[in-house]
Amino acid sequence: MIPNPIPFFAFFVCACCLTGKIKQNDESLPSHLRLNGSSIGNTLGKHKEDVLQPSVGLYRNDKLIAHGVLVDRKGYLLSKASSSVGARTIRTSNDQSFSIRIRKRDEHTDLALWQITGSAQTWKTVQWLDQNKSAGLGTWSVSPGAELKDIKLGVLSANPRVILREGGVMGVLLEDTNSSVAGITITEVLPQSAGDRAGLRIMDRILRLDRRTVRTTEQINQLLKTKDPGDLLTLRVNRRGKEMDIRVTLGHRSVAFDLFNRNLLMSGPVSKRKDHFPLIIQNDLPLHKEMMGGGLYNLRGECLGINIARVDRVTTYTLPYPIILPILSGWLNELL
Amino acid sequence: MITSVKTNKPIGHLRYFVLCLFIACSLPAVETEEENSNVSAQRYSFPSSVSELETIQARIQSSLAKVKHTVVSIEAEDGAGSGVLVSSDGLILTAAHVIGESGREMKVVFEDGTEANARSLGGSELSDAGMLQLMDSPKKPFAQIAESSESKVGDWCFALGHPSGFDQERGLVLRVGRIIRKKEETMQTDCRLLGGDSGGPLFSMDGKVIGIHSRISHDPEENFHTTIESFRSNWDYFLNEKLHTFQSMQNGGFLGVFCEESNDGLLVLEVVPDTPADKAGIMAGDVLTRLDDSPLDTREKLTIMVSSKRPGSKVVLDYLRDSFEISIRLELGERDSL
Repeated sequence: MIPNPIPFFAFFVCACCLTGKIKQNDESLPSHLRLNGSSIGNTLGKHKEDVLQPSVGLYRNDKLIAHGVLVDRKGYLLSKASSSVGARTIRTSNDQSFSIRIRKRDEHTDLALWQITGSAQTWKTVQWLDQNKSAGLGTWSVSPGAELKDIKLGVLSANPRVILREGGVMGVLLEDTNSSVAGITITEVLPQSAGDRAGLRIMDRILRLDRRTVRTTEQINQLLKTKDPGDLLTLRVNRRGKEMDIRVTLGHRSVAFDLFNRNLLMSGPVSKRKDHFPLIIQNDLPLHKEMMGGGLYNLRGECLGINIARVDRVTTYTLPYPIILPILSGWLNELL
Repeated sequence: MITSVKTNKPIGHLRYFVLCLFIACSLPAVETEEENSNVSAQRYSFPSSVSELETIQARIQSSLAKVKHTVVSIEAEDGAGSGVLVSSDGLILTAAHVIGESGREMKVVFEDGTEANARSLGGSELSDAGMLQLMDSPKKPFAQIAESSESKVGDWCFALGHPSGFDQERGLVLRVGRIIRKKEETMQTDCRLLGGDSGGPLFSMDGKVIGIHSRISHDPEENFHTTIESFRSNWDYFLNEKLHTFQSMQNGGFLGVFCEESNDGLLVLEVVPDTPADKAGIMAGDVLTRLDDSPLDTREKLTIMVSSKRPGSKVVLDYLRDSFEISIRLELGERDSL
């Protein structure tokens, strides 16, 4: 174990304080000139409006919960389904508010289609990327800032790929019981987890899961992999000799276990659903989870896709537009 | 003046960064933003058009193609970090907190998934520089390292690494940013990093290694890297000696000066009373140039040279006072005696 390095550094620190500003190399890059300083908006020129105009914020009880992208002149917009649940209003980049209602939802991509109600205006819609253009690793990309006033800048940062299902979790730690006793012993119940809320306790022994007898932790893990967060599971447990049924609504892995992941402690709040996507492109934009559902654009204001999950400090997943367009046109054909 | 200090456990938790060891003075928050902008506005600029940004993109993409195969993931029993291959015979630069100690067997995974065995060499916990040697010649492309002083504040740069560990499908993760501060053994950029990136390379626009990822704070703009200058200045020591630790510094020789780097050598900012330096007549304003005939180009080099000798050792110190060259012989003391 490394000893705490602070005393050694303190050695130098005092010296610097004493001397103030005699050093020529005490310089730092002014904040407006940094990657996500205020300069990028000017650099984009007219394309800044191409990014901001089709963007909206979705609000629930006056609180921003997601971003959205206007996709049809009649006032239809796309957002992230699991983040925009319960949204009542939108705010546009020029601070107008409108009521909205949900029209469609797709579990597979976590997209939702919302419709602006009570406005007959013709809406400026997003310009999707030209199909002949590609966007590879290192391509600059931008998204609107939280209040739809400024622009965030980053790059496409990793390979496009499929994100597999993580499965639902109970949020308990398990241990195989020695063969003389039946069941799997719960050795820890994580606070606030699905298991905690369902009333599972340390030393409960799980005998059956949805009426199937389980003998190893591996069997339980395999079964959980086939379930999603929100699925209901009935456990037969032995608690101090007494058998009882406990119903658990499975939770998200990110909620149950991220509390204990130091990488995520350094990342700020992340999206609840960040798994199980048919295809994503990855970027390094500094976005908040309340900005998911908004668009990711190239420097010329063409939309590459919709930001669908804030994953950690360095990662946002974006659904690329070729995944979105078939779903969207199906929905619009049905509704228009 | 230490802000936001957190205790951290680099050994045994390689996966995670050393958190928050941010020294307000060393990377100064002393200047006001206004002063700073006035001085710097002429010297730095932000691309003023989309096509200027696209030029940067093209340079990064072309460098990326050259260097992406030089970046490795480093796996130990207790976590993972990153590193970069810098020679044909298998030398890898990484972070001190990734290797943990000298002589450790570690597994290296290349970007294409091929694996190789390696053994940790030395480095320094002061700058968080570390070296690792592959057991066999890798027959892989290696990266060029930048000259000292080649990178400067305001430069665009890009970071590569394996945040949260190796993932074949995801591949390497790219981050682009600018150098925000650079001083002594540390530089700060807005290339956002995460645990697992530790030890990975920071590249200049033309694809030369200018830094190694070291630590972060909660602020997304506080990403710290060991400078390539630190490696260059202590190259042979890192290659051949055991990892220089804070513990070993406690027990080693002691001089008693606070200095900072300048063009001519190490400018003495303060001399601690009743230390060997004080007794030998060293004064604030002197510039230390050589110790035992070895040029003092970095502060860390002086610290390592002094503290890797026993208390009581005799050394020859050359310094400049008002442009006069002076050479003295002095006996190192004990740090504990402070």
